[in-house]
Amino acid sequence: MGPTRPAGDFVVEFEGVDKWYGAHHALRSVTLGVARGERVAICGPSGSGKSTLIRCVNGLERHQQGTIRVDGIPVDGTGLGLAAVRRRTGMVFQNFNLFPHLTVLDNLTLGPVYSGGEPAAAAEARARLLLDRVGIADQQAKFPGQLSGGQQQRVAIARALMREPSVMLFDEPTSSLDPERVQEVLAVMEELARGGMTMLVVTHEMGFMRRVADLVVFMDQGEIVEAAPPELFFTQPRTDRARAFLGQVMHL
Amino acid sequence: MADARSFAVAGGGPPQPPPPVARGAVGWARRHLFASPFDALVTLALGLLIAWLVPRAFAWAVVDAVWYAPDGQACRAATGACWAVVAEKHRLILFGTYPYDQQWRGAAVIAIFVALIGLSSIGRIPVRLRLAAWGAGASAGLVLLLGGVFGLSPVGTHLWGGLPLTIVIFVGTVAGGMPLAVLLALGRQSEMPAIRAVSVGIVEVVRGLPLLAVLFVVSLVFPLFVPPELSIDKLVRAILGMIVFFGAYAAEIVRGGLQAIPAGQHEAAKALGLGYRLRMRRVVLPQALALVVPALLNDIIRAFKNTTFVAILGLFDVLGATKVALEDPAWVRHAPEIYVFIFLLYLLFCLAFSRRGMAIERRLAARKR
Repeated sequence: MGPTRPAGDFVVEFEGVDKWYGAHHALRSVTLGVARGERVAICGPSGSGKSTLIRCVNGLERHQQGTIRVDGIPVDGTGLGLAAVRRRTGMVFQNFNLFPHLTVLDNLTLGPVYSGGEPAAAAEARARLLLDRVGIADQQAKFPGQLSGGQQQRVAIARALMREPSVMLFDEPTSSLDPERVQEVLAVMEELARGGMTMLVVTHEMGFMRRVADLVVFMDQGEIVEAAPPELFFTQPRTDRARAFLGQVMHL
Repeated sequence: MADARSFAVAGGGPPQPPPPVARGAVGWARRHLFASPFDALVTLALGLLIAWLVPRAFAWAVVDAVWYAPDGQACRAATGACWAVVAEKHRLILFGTYPYDQQWRGAAVIAIFVALIGLSSIGRIPVRLRLAAWGAGASAGLVLLLGGVFGLSPVGTHLWGGLPLTIVIFVGTVAGGMPLAVLLALGRQSEMPAIRAVSVGIVEVVRGLPLLAVLFVVSLVFPLFVPPELSIDKLVRAILGMIVFFGAYAAEIVRGGLQAIPAGQHEAAKALGLGYRLRMRRVVLPQALALVVPALLNDIIRAFKNTTFVAILGLFDVLGATKVALEDPAWVRHAPEIYVFIFLLYLLFCLAFSRRGMAIERRLAARKR
């Protein structure tokens, strides 16, 4: 990749990143930057590499070529760099991945107390504030299995916010929710966006992208096909692949 | 037929209580004892068997039984059980060859053990506190049995016997075997080939050996290669053998639990910045161990009963001491009574363990509701 990188304050940077699963080329020379305080949404058909891309940011998947940086720290697989990167990123998963053996409150405080060395009382106070912010302060003593999917995902968002990350990574956060639960999660995410949080979101929620995203990235077969502001991407897609994808999604 | 139209009727009315089921003894019997002709047949057959067996057992064990016979004379004429033999031999059975006038120390160890099992069945005590209580109880028990301090006369482990010895071996086996099982299970999943090979090797080799062989190796073969001044106590060697045996079996159970934890749990813990040890200790192991409580309990109960194997090393656990007690010609024909007593003793402890396990399962299930 040539020196196409513009100057500026980028929280997440990809420079010519490649990844293979065996012989399958899962990410093809991906280059992108997420500017501080902006929201970038990634969409594309299944198998397009969008989940792989976001999981490379905090090293859940290892890329093989190119450079990924978070707050300027390279994600290179060494323990120290990885720990620093994970402290600066919060991640929300499609299947929530709350810890079922811990109460809601303990789910939030586990990381800061045991990994960050924060006193338990201080962590609990912050956790209560965050739970209040996502609208489930009254459920803090319950176990995840006792909550609805939407509530669980809101807890997961609060848990990811506990380390006060530089960027929030969302990997299809509403894809396994019942339709009537989607809005409550999107509302929390939009509130976060209004608060100026830097976000990288893999999603199919077109309305959410229109309202919140500064940039929509369309991926297919491991490469970035198009990147444009939502109003442009949805109304004037430039490639046939994007048009075909939008045609299918809009019919939903 | 061709002009049939699919249809549905809207409106089901207000909610109503379910239709009544037959209550009382008759209703219960109809549902559980005579639900079908086959059920009725089984009920009748088992009923006849019970009607035949229970009166005979009751006559033997209670009506015709002899409870008091200081010299065994009264027992010889009796047609029922001779429980006097238990009264006569209970000190030997319960405490083996431990010095007679010091046997209160063994009794105290039994009391501590029973109290700790009781404590464990009280619901909301944090795990940390439970473990501390067990640690304190185990230390106190060892000091009591060994003596040599606080004015207690020293008693060598070769004199230990009976139920306190059984308890020492059992607690030692589980306390040493559980951590070993977790380490072996984690080792088997390690990304480092050497650690994985060692873990797999230990598990496969030990599982391929009978417990008796393991005990023979640690007690008879092992000393051949170790100079006498380095030799360790026979009881310690026996417990080490039991630990390795228990650990190898339990490791496979723990591994099953580890494999049942979804990848998402590992990923979420990584994303939160938890390193390997914290991830295992706080996220993966608590869930994995909770999943395998019933299977682990099975192994723990077996470990309690496996303590009887140490008799072949010349250690007199409850069963070994019982055999010694039966060598007395005055009482030798009353082996059935003694073994019924031993049977009840083991049953009592094993029931206590499984009740404890059920309590754990209930508490875990409550989190899912």
